[in-house]
This record gives sequence, C-alpha cells and structure tokens, in this order.
Amino acid sequence: MSEEYDVEFVEREEREARFLVRGISPGFANGIRRAMVADVPTMAIDTVRFIENSSVMFDEQLALRLGLVPLTTPPEGEFGEDDTVTLSIDVEGPATAYSGDLVSEDDLVQPADENVPIIELKEDQRLEAEADAVLDRGKDHAKHQGGVAIGYRHLQRVEVVGDLPEFEEQESRIVRGVIEDDGELVPTSEFDHDLSNRYPGKEVEVEDVPNAFVFHVETDGSLDVEELVTRAADSIESRATELEEAVQL
Amino acid sequence: MELRVTERTDDELSIEIAGEDHTFMNVLKGTLLEHEDVSAATYDVNPEQSGGQTEPILTIKTEDDVDPIDALEEAAGDVRDKAVSFREAFEAAA
Repeated sequence: MSEEYDVEFVEREEREARFLVRGISPGFANGIRRAMVADVPTMAIDTVRFIENSSVMFDEQLALRLGLVPLTTPPEGEFGEDDTVTLSIDVEGPATAYSGDLVSEDDLVQPADENVPIIELKEDQRLEAEADAVLDRGKDHAKHQGGVAIGYRHLQRVEVVGDLPEFEEQESRIVRGVIEDDGELVPTSEFDHDLSNRYPGKEVEVEDVPNAFVFHVETDGSLDVEELVTRAADSIESRATELEEAVQL
Repeated sequence: MELRVTERTDDELSIEIAGEDHTFMNVLKGTLLEHEDVSAATYDVNPEQSGGQTEPILTIKTEDDVDPIDALEEAAGDVRDKAVSFREAFEAAA
C-alpha cells in the first residue's frame, strides 16, 4: 500500500511556510506535526561554567536564558548525541549582553539570531562564561524545540451558490487558513479573513476538503522549514523501520 | 525500541512498545486499522506521573487466521512507506 501525497507550497520563507498536503489522513498529519515539535533534535546550551558573573542575576537564571537562545543545528550526521560544542561569552558593562556576543568554536553551531538580549550590565558588572551546547529533542526540554508555531487546518473549499437578495446587508463571514476557490489556493489573509470582502453580494458555501491539510510551520531559526519537515518524516520512518526489525526477531 | 508481549492468542496480541509516545503509536494504530485483516487495534498509554505502567501497550485483533504479529510487521512497513512518500512528495514541491 503506497500512499500518494501531493504537496504544494502556499507561502514560503526560510523560517516560516504554509504548504498544502493532499491525501494525508488526520492521524498521520498529527504524527508529522508532533514529530516536528518534539522529535527533531536541535542544538542548545545545556551546561554553563561561569568565570565571572557580577550581574544582578543568579548564574542559574542566566544559564536558562543562554539555553533558550536558538542555535543553528548542523546537518544530519555531523553530530552525535554526546558531542558538545563550546561557546563563550565575555561582556563588560555598561552594555547589554546579546546572543550575538556568543563566540562558538564551530561554524556550524552559531546563534540563529544576533539580537536576543541576555542581560543588561551596568558599570563594573561583567559576564564571562563558557557554555556547552548539545543535541537533544523538544520532548526533553523546550529549548531543543526546533518548531515553534506548528499546526494544520483543513483546506476549505469555497463555492459561490448564488446572489444575495439585493437590499440585504451582507454579514461578514470569517474563515482562517487557506481556501480553495475553483482550484486556486488563496490564503485568507489576502481578503482580511472575511469572505464577504472577496465575494461581495454573493452567497457562498464553505466545506472542508477531506484529507487535505494546510500546514503552517514556523521554526526558531535552528533549522529551516524544509529541514524540519524532512527530519520529522525521517524520525517517523526510522521508528517504523526499528519496529519492523524488532518484530521480525 | 523494546518490545514485550503481554498477552497473546491466535488472533489477539497485546504488546508493550517501550520508549514510544502518541506521535508514533497513533500513526501506527491508524495504519493498523487500514489493514484489511485487522478487526480492532488500539493503544493505551498512561501519563508519566501516574506510576505503574507508563509505556504504551498496543492491542491488535485480527480475523481470517492472520497472525497479529504479521499484521503488526506489515503495518510498520506501511508507516515507513507513508513517511518516505510524504518526504518525497514534500521534497518534490520544495
């Protein structure tokens, strides 16, 4: 039994995308979504050695903040579960320590954003620390979560069924996601999510298209959208293979 | 992934699949139900804090003298095929 899926991008950027998948069952769509959130490993700081912390916050608080800084995750196979990458930070006040001040020993593991504030330092305050980043999954800690806003909705088919009575005030009809109008995919943001803007004076019917889901995927920058989706599919594939082999024994 | 059979008859199987959660179990269950010789498939998993049995237990019931183990093996293969064809379809569009 081989399923035929059909994927089509609606919106696409490096960190955020919307794509339609046809022929996918709700259960499998949810499996993919969950795998993106919790099962795709990303790099994050896990251990911090403070050399000097004369800031107003405790070491533990800064360690948490450092952990939450998204780091770019190297291509698959470059890193194992136990490998670590060391980053260091050295900022002297008066200044604000930003994620961009982290210096990594590895070009593949860098802060995904330069402008995440870590702490504001006043005169004579200083932060100097060394941190080890490891690869782990969102299931174990949210800082390892590559996908930050992931969900899916049914594709909705809109059909014009007639005209509204001439003197009747049209009520607004809000839909969110992506609609299919005569085979054309239109994000609802194009008409302010209100069907009465797109079809003035018309009576329309909206129905969910069975087994057609529009995924919205946003990453924290540690991976791009394509990497995240393919790695999520890979993680389900590898578990299925593992189970198949375990059953054969 | 450690498997432990907890109950087994000719047409029924309960098996513990250690280390898995809803992500994989629900997909597997859904795929088992698409299998034509599987009459019932379900899984049960308790939250971590509940104590006792916390690993998911999959129960399969088959008809027409099909060994549930074989059905499970085929379903695992089907899940793999789904994941592969999903990735291929995605990569083709990307």
